[in-house]
Amino acid sequence: MASAVAGSAPSAVERAIQRNLKGLGYLASSAPVLGASPKDVVLSRGPLRLYHYHPLTDEVYRVPVLLVMATTNRGYIFDMVPGQSLVEFLLLRGYDVFMADWEAPRPEDRALGMKDYVEDFVGGSVAEVQRITGEDDVSLVGYCMGGVLSVLWSGLNHAKGPKNLAVFTTPVDFHQMTMFKAWSDQRYFDVDRLVDTLGLAPAEMLLTAFDMLRPAGRISANFALLDNLWNDEFVKGHRMFDRWSNDMLPLAGEYFRETTKQLVWDNALMEGRMKVGGRLVELDKVKAPFLHVTAEHDHIVTTGASAPLLGLIGSEDKEQVVLKGGHVSLIAGPNAVKRMWPKLDMWLSEKSV
Amino acid sequence: MSKTPDFDPFGLARGWMSQWEKLVNEHGTELLAKPEAAQAMQAMTGAAMQLQAASQETSAKLLAAANLPSRADFEALGARLGAIEATLARIEASLRTVAPDAAPPRPPVARTRKPPAA
Repeated sequence: MASAVAGSAPSAVERAIQRNLKGLGYLASSAPVLGASPKDVVLSRGPLRLYHYHPLTDEVYRVPVLLVMATTNRGYIFDMVPGQSLVEFLLLRGYDVFMADWEAPRPEDRALGMKDYVEDFVGGSVAEVQRITGEDDVSLVGYCMGGVLSVLWSGLNHAKGPKNLAVFTTPVDFHQMTMFKAWSDQRYFDVDRLVDTLGLAPAEMLLTAFDMLRPAGRISANFALLDNLWNDEFVKGHRMFDRWSNDMLPLAGEYFRETTKQLVWDNALMEGRMKVGGRLVELDKVKAPFLHVTAEHDHIVTTGASAPLLGLIGSEDKEQVVLKGGHVSLIAGPNAVKRMWPKLDMWLSEKSV
Repeated sequence: MSKTPDFDPFGLARGWMSQWEKLVNEHGTELLAKPEAAQAMQAMTGAAMQLQAASQETSAKLLAAANLPSRADFEALGARLGAIEATLARIEASLRTVAPDAAPPRPPVARTRKPPAA
């Protein structure tokens, strides 16, 4: 035992020194610049920002790709840093890439509801992509609630529809999101009072709810950081993801109210009763090729909540893929680079000509 | 040939932390999923909202007494600016249909790419 300790002591000491030196560097240095792929803002409407990324190849696929970000978070998760950016990956593979991203809604945006997000923001983005590219066909790719918005728009506009519809970790059976269901129990949660008082659903409230899904998560993540301070790659990854996960957005009040009542309380999308602006969402009439990628260890959108979507979509060409990873590591970071991105490219490339 | 086993003091803490995390996540979520937890959380949210509403009301009265614009005034200004932005966007869109950009900022790329052969 004593010889074992003596043998490995130099490397332990080396790591301890590195931890201290790099720990000081961590505190002193600025965070990495995220979401920096060259782009133009081509549409700005309320909290919506539609980006058009500059192509990186001389020749692109005919069908443009529109990424739709989740409404609670910033879209730079799709564009972290060079080499860890889904946007850059798609551009290098020859896609013409757009993204519907979100800014924090302003107090006067409190009245924006589901119809605004689905018809005006997603629908408006599709129309703008069509105008800019001159193509009628658009592939929609949505993440989490961005996936829900993409699915809702497709279910309302199935006649024209997207050319292809791909979603990641998208919930449909909200009664299977047991923690959120418990916390929004109608007996105790007065969503009307919250929205009428505050106007917007505060970002801090949403962040706390996500944190409580894994009560020890934040402490153990900080311990892992301390343990790995000697490892530059780990520290870089931690800083990017920590910044992103804390950079939550408030939600427009009416949108939050409708999400709570229709999706969480009534489970209307799952039950086929979901209406947006008075129009019924008909998922069974969606005919576009459909891909749903879910994560094996997703603690936010569990398999029970996401898996039924495949059965509700009417497309003949449809596929669900379960990949290793969690809710975020599915779409960004080394796991995504290795697993999800190539899968998306393989599925989308042959359907984009 | 015998290999010297690694001695990593952080390894002990790592093992302990891993167990603690598992335990807290399991039991914590179990506890937080109970109706009593939801009731307590919503009671706290309700109290915070009441406090916020009261403080908003008091601030508005104080600002009015000092002849200063209130949050509501700024929100109204924001709404008017938003409406002006929306009008500008509509005008811009209409102009684009009448007089499209003379020179596009970047040359258009060919939309003829084919997937690589399998």
